[in-house]
Amino acid sequence: MRSGKRWVVCVSLGALMATGLAAPAHAQPKTRIGALKLSSSAPLFIGVDKGFFKEFGVDPELVFFQAAAPIATALATGQIDVGATGVTAALYNIVLGGEQMWIVADKGREWPGYPLTGIVVQKELYDSGVRSIADLKGKRIGITTLGSTFHYHLGNILEKSGLKLADVRVVPLQTMAAAIEALKGRQVDAILLPQPFPATAEAQGFGKILFWAGDLYPWQVATVFYSKKFAADRTRAVDFMKGYVKASRYYHDAVLGQRDGRPAPGANYDEVVAITAKYTEARPEAIRLGFPFQDRNGRLLVTDIQRQMQWWTENGFMKRPIPLKGIVDTSFVEEAAKAVPEK
Amino acid sequence: MAVERVAVTDRAAFLRRREYRALRVLALLGIVVLWELVTRTGWVSSLFLPSPLSVIGELADMARSGQLFVHLGVSLRRLLWGFTLGAAGGIAVGVSTGFFSRMEAVGQPLIAATFPIPKIALLPLLILWLGIGEPSKVAVIALGVFFPMAINTYAGVRQADPLLVRAAVAFGAGRWSVIRKVVLPSALPMIFAGLKLGAGTALLLLVAAEMIAADSGIGFLVLHAGNIMDTTKLMVGIVCLSVLGVLSHWALTGLERAAIPWRHTS
Repeated sequence: MRSGKRWVVCVSLGALMATGLAAPAHAQPKTRIGALKLSSSAPLFIGVDKGFFKEFGVDPELVFFQAAAPIATALATGQIDVGATGVTAALYNIVLGGEQMWIVADKGREWPGYPLTGIVVQKELYDSGVRSIADLKGKRIGITTLGSTFHYHLGNILEKSGLKLADVRVVPLQTMAAAIEALKGRQVDAILLPQPFPATAEAQGFGKILFWAGDLYPWQVATVFYSKKFAADRTRAVDFMKGYVKASRYYHDAVLGQRDGRPAPGANYDEVVAITAKYTEARPEAIRLGFPFQDRNGRLLVTDIQRQMQWWTENGFMKRPIPLKGIVDTSFVEEAAKAVPEK
Repeated sequence: MAVERVAVTDRAAFLRRREYRALRVLALLGIVVLWELVTRTGWVSSLFLPSPLSVIGELADMARSGQLFVHLGVSLRRLLWGFTLGAAGGIAVGVSTGFFSRMEAVGQPLIAATFPIPKIALLPLLILWLGIGEPSKVAVIALGVFFPMAINTYAGVRQADPLLVRAAVAFGAGRWSVIRKVVLPSALPMIFAGLKLGAGTALLLLVAAEMIAADSGIGFLVLHAGNIMDTTKLMVGIVCLSVLGVLSHWALTGLERAAIPWRHTS
């Protein structure tokens, strides 16, 4: 009786496995994209939602992460094919450690006129006369982690104002939520956080946005990465990029237009807000606060990648910079930008 | 009359515990050599598993630059404060709940209710209460040490032989005299077991304690190296933690021998 039952279980399990295995064998492999649930991933959301990737024969699957660094790790171990997130010291160190991956396209810049990351100071400090970066000397500044994009941005902004990282006390608080709480609880004097946190701090009255970090120091904060294996599959890698370029143009025309320094939303603005809200699960009002700038065709600021590696090396986060040829490959985006027709 | 000797095999021989000192050292060395070989041949990427030699090299670099001692010093201070406060509190609570039934009625349910709370989950609250400076870091460690100490001390006190207590009372000992001369000494082995557990817990919690607003310390080193994917530095931090673990165990074992001489006559 018991062995009979077990036999039935075995057969049904076997059947289940057979169907489970047979299904993907007929379809083409999915392209797994690692991303964060942030507004800056909007071009990918558009590409997936409006079927731009499918149009070029790529079947995308979004895999969501909690932070930027694990995306780089997942890419190195081949658990995802494409990564789309901030460039951190972790990514460079993985490539330096011998795990090849490629930076292939723009996925968002800190850019003048496009509020993304804000430098928020305590309201009392602002009222007592803290108005410039130089006034931040000796203050406690909260960020997520050392080696994050915020750390890089803060360091470069300070250097531009004639200060050094050592002139302030950088306080790593691990999460964005903890950083905003620390400002509220007056355990730090200022924070560097992306929207919607600065707007929230101002709305609740405990913080004041001093500057938008992108106005002070523009840079290539986020990029699209390919795993070694995915980059080697040239046709699929270019096809994916075609979908990305199309989505990127759609995104650019819908939300990045400006006239006389003021945002001038395009025809599809509300649609892009709705798609972004759907994938990020954020409130549309928070999304309307601003979209990060990126090149219309997804082209990279290649020289900035070089500059980043130099800075990380100078500050002891990398042993040495990687030659650009060993980490950046713009051929995919160039080929795709030519192949995708303008409407 | 001649005595005939008969050889008897010791049928309990399999129970005899030998030391095998050489095997202990060889096993450890063997694993390290195997590890080095595996990474040398490129079978495992050095990013995923840094080789022992590169870890030793990084350790030497960090020692030369003085960075290592800064991290060690900061962490040792936090560990010592946390351990001392936690252990003292735990012993005090353990002795009083073990000896006085009113204290037991109050303390036992409280300990049972608060013991299973993960100390890391309390971190945000501790930061609100104590700020992001040293006190919140020390408090995380102290809380971790407190519970094994309190529970072990309580058990040790309860184990005191009632016959010895009665004998002491019969010889005219007062309440404090009984605690000091009978109950506490008989609880000592359990207290030391608790101290060893607590030392381990303190090291485990060091990484959690140094998660928030730390810019030095071994726990910070481990987290930070992980964040920037510097796996060699990560291993240096892990090696430091494990060496600290071994050293604290040795120190406590030595202290135990000195404090409870009647248990270690050999």
